[in-house]
Amino acid sequence: MAKLLERRPMPADSPLAVCARTLAAFLLALVITSFLFIAYRANPLQAYFALFHEPFATLRGFGYSLLRASPLALIALGTIVSWRSGLAYLGFEGCFVIGAAAASWLALMTTPGAPLGSLPLLVFWMLAIPFSFAVGGLWAGLVGVIRARLGGNEVLISLMSNYVGIFILEYLVSGPLRAPGSLPETRQLPRGTWLPFIIPGTRAHAGILLAVLAAALVWLLLQRMPLGYELIVTGFNPLAARYAGINVARRLVLAAFFAGGLGALAGTVEVLGAQHRLMEGISGGVGFVGVIVALLARLNPIAAVPVAVLYGGMSVGGDAMQRRADIPSSITFILQSLAVLLVLISDVLRYYRINPSALWSRASEAIREEASE
Amino acid sequence: MSGNQLLSSAFLVTWLAASLRLAGPVLLAALGETFAERGGVLNLGIEGTILLGALASFLVSLFTGMTWIALLVAMSVGIVASVFLAWVYVFVKASQVVTGLVFNVLALGIVSLVYRRAVGDSALPESIAMFHAVHIPVLTSIPVLGPVLFGQTVLLYITLALVALGQFALFRSNFGLSLRACGENPAAADSAGIPVDRIRYVGVLISGATAGMAGGYLVLSQVGLFRESIVSGQGFIALAIVIFGRWTPVKAAGAALVFGACDALQLSLQIFGTRIPSQALLALPYVVTILAISGLFGSRAVQPAALMQPYIKD
Repeated sequence: MAKLLERRPMPADSPLAVCARTLAAFLLALVITSFLFIAYRANPLQAYFALFHEPFATLRGFGYSLLRASPLALIALGTIVSWRSGLAYLGFEGCFVIGAAAASWLALMTTPGAPLGSLPLLVFWMLAIPFSFAVGGLWAGLVGVIRARLGGNEVLISLMSNYVGIFILEYLVSGPLRAPGSLPETRQLPRGTWLPFIIPGTRAHAGILLAVLAAALVWLLLQRMPLGYELIVTGFNPLAARYAGINVARRLVLAAFFAGGLGALAGTVEVLGAQHRLMEGISGGVGFVGVIVALLARLNPIAAVPVAVLYGGMSVGGDAMQRRADIPSSITFILQSLAVLLVLISDVLRYYRINPSALWSRASEAIREEASE
Repeated sequence: MSGNQLLSSAFLVTWLAASLRLAGPVLLAALGETFAERGGVLNLGIEGTILLGALASFLVSLFTGMTWIALLVAMSVGIVASVFLAWVYVFVKASQVVTGLVFNVLALGIVSLVYRRAVGDSALPESIAMFHAVHIPVLTSIPVLGPVLFGQTVLLYITLALVALGQFALFRSNFGLSLRACGENPAAADSAGIPVDRIRYVGVLISGATAGMAGGYLVLSQVGLFRESIVSGQGFIALAIVIFGRWTPVKAAGAALVFGACDALQLSLQIFGTRIPSQALLALPYVVTILAISGLFGSRAVQPAALMQPYIKD
């Protein structure tokens, strides 16, 4: 009897097949989500128009899309460096808050009268960016050391480390860095430390430029530099890498360092560009969404920034939809996560082929059997 | 606060009782997750599954007032969700980490949509129908131990019974042996005639069932209401408990108690207003868990060898 899913003799790996699968997955996600819009008595086409119009066709909305995209892109880049080096690091929530805390602390030190006094903006950034990169890098590097030297499982350890980071943040904003007032948060950071807004009339800030620069550097590292090559070989086959004379343990620690640094920069741009103060709950899951962005970008650093803008933009569009048409913004969560899940599932079609004739032949077989009885 | 006050029996009773109470739901979720992981599947989706179970039990209890039915529905919702998850983990063989994380986002979206749709702006009661603490006549009046052990809701006793059952099933039954074989060396298990995929499916389904029940536990025995933030990381705490408990149900119960005790102590220290930051106590179990799995103490060998590795038959 013919099977509905028939195993292919060879996996279908042509670029056309990959594109078709991915596209089909996205379309299916859009179709499924349409039914939710219909449940809210909204025309799906109009709803999708609204979802994409505000964030990508209005200046103000596009500014917000870039604002949301900046930390996502940086975390996605961190994911790309570590995952391609064979380190499934998932501690970006922790890196994000550690980086945000480091940058805020430095910014609060530069108010007039504080230890550092007023610094020129450029000098402040030349201090803040490497400082928060290094703090985040050391934070994540510890996980790299545990994995490389002691052989602990980096997925579980980095997941647990998120909570330690978040509790450190909660301690800082409810204790040493707390501003007088009822909420656990710091004072507003001095204006002189804010990232400049890059498009007049919007909230888009220079963080997105930093993300683009970081994407270019990550691409350069992974595609054009011997070190990046060694990282990728380590990721593909650690044993082969060792025989080729690559110090695998050191490369893993380095990958974790880069990942943590990029994750911390995400926190830095969020706090200096968007929030302008440190508070509890500042990460709000962005550390996990960034990982998802990286996977949608198929771990390609150049694709990471546009995918982050698309992803960030969709959440902006979802909020606008909720304000205007009273359609819950959680539908965008559903659309986004369905799209990713279906892209994952579409990999089945790499090994299997759907055989529609199977349905028909099964039916006809059943009829034949009945007739023979 | 003086040392005398800390050790006074009233404090001890409150603290221990609260520890047990807080440990219950995460222990239940961790128990099922132990089975999934022993079979070689890291089910990160239990966070979302707990949330789905919590909403299901809340709605059923709100509209029918029947707590047992609510718990059963929560469990069924968990099973249905994990049928999908298991299919993606075991048949599609997608990355388990990514699938679980994305599923959590999906579950959050579904839950907030359904909650708004079902409840909307209608006025809610102060609390829905819940399980009440069971007071066993003689046992409850034993000093200290009585109120701690015997003043809990029936769900805790069910959880403890399931822990004992789970320990037996994992280490004393054929199914447990097959499951552990699939988690250690699926290729060898396969050549010994064990249906690896089917066994792994069962492991994930067990984790889904207990995660759904854990959601019901949270709502029906602790909170009595529903918020989207009700789970906020409890699934990941369950994950930590599985590791800290070295993939063994009985040890997981001990680990859950450590987490619960730190949480409860932190709550009471806040009330007394000491200078120890409460976050240090909250972070402590995570630090201990990280150390426990770091390999520093040689416990790495306990982790199922094929954890997170999809089994592809050649």
